[in-house]
Amino acid sequence: MKENSRLKAVRAVRQELAQVGIDPFGVQIDRIVSPTEGIIDGRPTILAGTNNYLGMTFDADCVASAREALETAGTGTTGSRMANGSYASHRELELDLARFYGKRDAIVFSTGYQANLGMISALAGPGDTVMIDADSHASIYDGCTLAGANTIRFRHNDADDLAKRMRRLGDEAANALIIVEGVYSMLGDRAPLRDFVRVKNEFGATLMVDEAHSMGVLGEKGRGLAEVDGVLDDIDYVVGTFSKSLGNTGGFCVGDSDDMDVLRYASRPYVFTASLAPATIAATRTALRKLEAASDLRKRLQANAERLHAGLSALGFRLGAPANAVVAVLVGEKLEALRFWDHLLKAGVYVNLMVPPATPGNESLLRCSVSAAHTFEQIDAICAAFGSWNGARA
Amino acid sequence: MNHQDVVAKLIELVTPFAEGRALVINETTGITSELGLDSLKVMDLVVAVEDEFDISVPINALAEVRTVGDFASLIQKSAG
Repeated sequence: MKENSRLKAVRAVRQELAQVGIDPFGVQIDRIVSPTEGIIDGRPTILAGTNNYLGMTFDADCVASAREALETAGTGTTGSRMANGSYASHRELELDLARFYGKRDAIVFSTGYQANLGMISALAGPGDTVMIDADSHASIYDGCTLAGANTIRFRHNDADDLAKRMRRLGDEAANALIIVEGVYSMLGDRAPLRDFVRVKNEFGATLMVDEAHSMGVLGEKGRGLAEVDGVLDDIDYVVGTFSKSLGNTGGFCVGDSDDMDVLRYASRPYVFTASLAPATIAATRTALRKLEAASDLRKRLQANAERLHAGLSALGFRLGAPANAVVAVLVGEKLEALRFWDHLLKAGVYVNLMVPPATPGNESLLRCSVSAAHTFEQIDAICAAFGSWNGARA
Repeated sequence: MNHQDVVAKLIELVTPFAEGRALVINETTGITSELGLDSLKVMDLVVAVEDEFDISVPINALAEVRTVGDFASLIQKSAG
């Protein structure tokens, strides 16, 4: 069969990895034991490369809700909500989310990725302008591509650079959609949300914030960085996911817009995909209720993050941001990072290897995500595994 | 700024990114095909161009850019 030339670059990366004999992107967890443990290559392994921030995947109440829904409502919906009908629980989850954020309404999507695709492509189209942070997640870039809008990047976390670019738009600035993330997934750094809100208000634009990595993690009620910074009312749309602190699969958007009811109908990633299974919806509803009351888990998570951050700092590693649920070790060169990652896995610790262009600053990262379910012993074991690496401290 | 002035300035900006991969850079030089700029380098070049010309270049418009001359035309368009 003829080789597809578009796959040439990916094929080259695969070959490069094959020569080294390490494949960080094909890890198989043979058996999942708990939110923080699995069996990989026959070895008991501490999972520090999930996004299971509150350890909700094995929560007994969430599992019970899923089991009940599975038995009473079946395995799947077999179609899209628009073509094949919503179950009452889909709408109930939307109302739960709206109430949780104190917003008028919510839309549930089948993944967090689709939430960004769906919202951006419904809110903007050819001739419109979307302003995005340069370090935005791929789902935001892809949403802009699907929208066909003029997409302008501003410097990461730089509200002045955004304002400068908004001024260049002239009268069009009021129609622009600005998109930022609360916490950035690679380094775990936070957006200066108040500054972005100020720019948004100055120009009368629309602001969407992706809180995928901050929902459930930050804020007294777990409503993310917007809650911490007290700007939830100034944000037009909050996008998030069920696949991190809620321990499930799915995505959502909440907002106060008069158009919330019609946005879903304008969103192809909402219209043309299967809706979430009843068990997923049921477990997510239970997880959301528990997340709101889980300030003890958030304290535990922060204590774990601080312990890991302090431990890795003491070992001389360069870290991406202050202590947060994402603790990224900056490693520099890709091959070094690959060998380091493999060393950690063989030492019984699974973290994420992140390489350019997915990472900022052209630097490879070993990204740890901390869970409230990690014990201090596990955190110390993660530090010990990092400490046993004989290569250069980046 | 006329097209040739933009091209001249752009060649100045792109030269360090090319790291000597082309002996001569002119209007017809391919930015990725001949100068070997990967996607990250292209985005760094875009930032340098935006600062120099005080413009914002929509990233969706870059899909049509192949050569230094194409990029110069986009810069002129972005500058209004």
